[in-house]
Amino acid sequence: MTSTRRRSSLQRINAGLGRAVAWLTLLMVINVVAVIVARDLFGFGRIWMQELTTWLHACIFLLGIGYTLQHNEHVRVDIFYQRMRARTRAWIDLVGVLVLLLPVAGIVLWMSWDYVFGTRGSWAGFETSSQAGGLPYPFPSIAKTLMLVMPALLGLQGLLMAADAVTTLRQDRQDSNTEHSE
Amino acid sequence: MALALFVCVVIVLMAGFPVALTLAGTSLVFAAIGLITGQFDAAFLGSIPNRLYGIMTNDTLVAVPLFIFMGITLERAKIAEALLDALSRAFSRGSGGLGIAVVLVGMLLAASTGIVGATVVTMGLLSLPTMLKRGYAPSVATGTICAAGTLGQIIPPSIVLVLLGDVLSAANQQAQIASGNYSGKTISVGDLFAGALLPGLMLVGLYLAWLIWLAWRQPTLMPAPTEAQRAPLGAGQFIRALLAPLVLIIMVLGSILTGKATPTEAAGVGAAGALGLAALRGSLNIAALEDIMQRTVRVTSMVFLILIGASIFALVFRGYDGDVAVHALLADLPGGMWSAFVVVMLVMFLLGFVLDFIEITFVVVPIVGPVLLGLGIDPIWLGVMIAINLQTSFLTPPFGFALFYLRGVAPASVTTGDLYRGVIPFIIIQLLAMLVLALVPQIATWLPSVIYG
Repeated sequence: MTSTRRRSSLQRINAGLGRAVAWLTLLMVINVVAVIVARDLFGFGRIWMQELTTWLHACIFLLGIGYTLQHNEHVRVDIFYQRMRARTRAWIDLVGVLVLLLPVAGIVLWMSWDYVFGTRGSWAGFETSSQAGGLPYPFPSIAKTLMLVMPALLGLQGLLMAADAVTTLRQDRQDSNTEHSE
Repeated sequence: MALALFVCVVIVLMAGFPVALTLAGTSLVFAAIGLITGQFDAAFLGSIPNRLYGIMTNDTLVAVPLFIFMGITLERAKIAEALLDALSRAFSRGSGGLGIAVVLVGMLLAASTGIVGATVVTMGLLSLPTMLKRGYAPSVATGTICAAGTLGQIIPPSIVLVLLGDVLSAANQQAQIASGNYSGKTISVGDLFAGALLPGLMLVGLYLAWLIWLAWRQPTLMPAPTEAQRAPLGAGQFIRALLAPLVLIIMVLGSILTGKATPTEAAGVGAAGALGLAALRGSLNIAALEDIMQRTVRVTSMVFLILIGASIFALVFRGYDGDVAVHALLADLPGGMWSAFVVVMLVMFLLGFVLDFIEITFVVVPIVGPVLLGLGIDPIWLGVMIAINLQTSFLTPPFGFALFYLRGVAPASVTTGDLYRGVIPFIIIQLLAMLVLALVPQIATWLPSVIYG
């Protein structure tokens, strides 16, 4: 019981984040329109405004990847998967998380760490945009930090997916046991 | 080893674990084996953060979430339904009108997400029940829906063309650098949009010609609506349902083609315009807006995780000299450019049975693109041919994506045989279109050369 409760509170992390990040898409639309209006109507152009669009875009998908896994909307080749029994699918999800998802999340996290937090990394160098008049510190560093947050959230959601698969497999075994005893 | 990696990835994909993670994960397993045996250089994995940051800051791909936002808003506002309704009323005089309306709606609106399955399902749910109720032959109805549902993919402004344009542009630069040509022509997403426009319209024209011919020869296959089913089209409805979305799409496309706006700006204005249309139709409230935004996040994340997975695959593939192997394989084929082109097209056609447009764009095009372009193939023409080829693959029995998904939403009264028979004329049209494009490449290359010089 407690493990189910713990699981559902962990589920809330990506769920809440997804709902919040969604507003960034609207912000992105507004910002693009604002850039055009400012430029064409008032002759006012700022590099940082253009860079903000790209920055928002990066935040959206880096924070949204775990949330998308939660909704099971990362495309699968489902020609066979769709016709499999729940038990087979659970096995595929479980093995997939352990052999494919977690190593991918791990390697991205590991390889990107120095890039962000290393002595010559983004934060240590007070990184600003490479263009004059571009986004100031700490915007670029925040975006780069999300390169670590993305695999962390993906890994978390992957573990929850694996836990659900285990539950399905246990349930299935119990069901078939009771069938046999009857 | 590189070939083994490719084959293994395709096999593991069949299990049905998410594509992006399968691509990256299987590649990492191969990298680990290579690190142990000393065949693989760890430095290739070290460039993962650089690749990831490159994806985050790619100026072309910023247009993708905005186009997705626009497409989902239009779908949510039931613009496609209203458009189909208005068009079928406009064409209600003779037989075949509804079929024509379906093709036109597919052309205008099916491209919202770039996922073949999703658009075919939407089109199927939208029009199949009405077509069957009106007495259309099941094979004609389903064939038209499959063809129309996949058509939106290759007509600008579609998301897959943005992705394909970005990948081709990189491949083009790579090919030029390899041949020592540092002042060569660059290509952009706008170029590919311009290049795909006429071939796309040509396909629409061919579809319509076929439907009109069929309606004329065999009117019982696609009967005209009875007096009771016919409803007049009011001027207000005509403007709201037909003119408004049409103006929006022409504005978005026009501003890109005339160079007034970048694809990102046009997509942003398109998204804002779509919100305006939705508000105008009274279908915009906080709940609807949240739904649009959240779906935008999910589709965007899905696309970009595939891109991340594909770039990890590409790193490992290159680490095993896969690019060199592919180059040797293709460049040394007897028959030169054309046989290399035909081989690549056949491989893509087969891969189209299991992989969607986005995956093939990210995984296969970066590998074969530089080789083909290095052999002297025009990048825009290549992009258009890839798009039509994949669309054909999605239509072809027994594995075509479109058939598979339409089967899922079609009533039991429609047999799988109906589905297969229905798409055959459209497959012939596709092959015909590719043949015409091979003989007259100017259909694809003329418009970009006029617009961009």
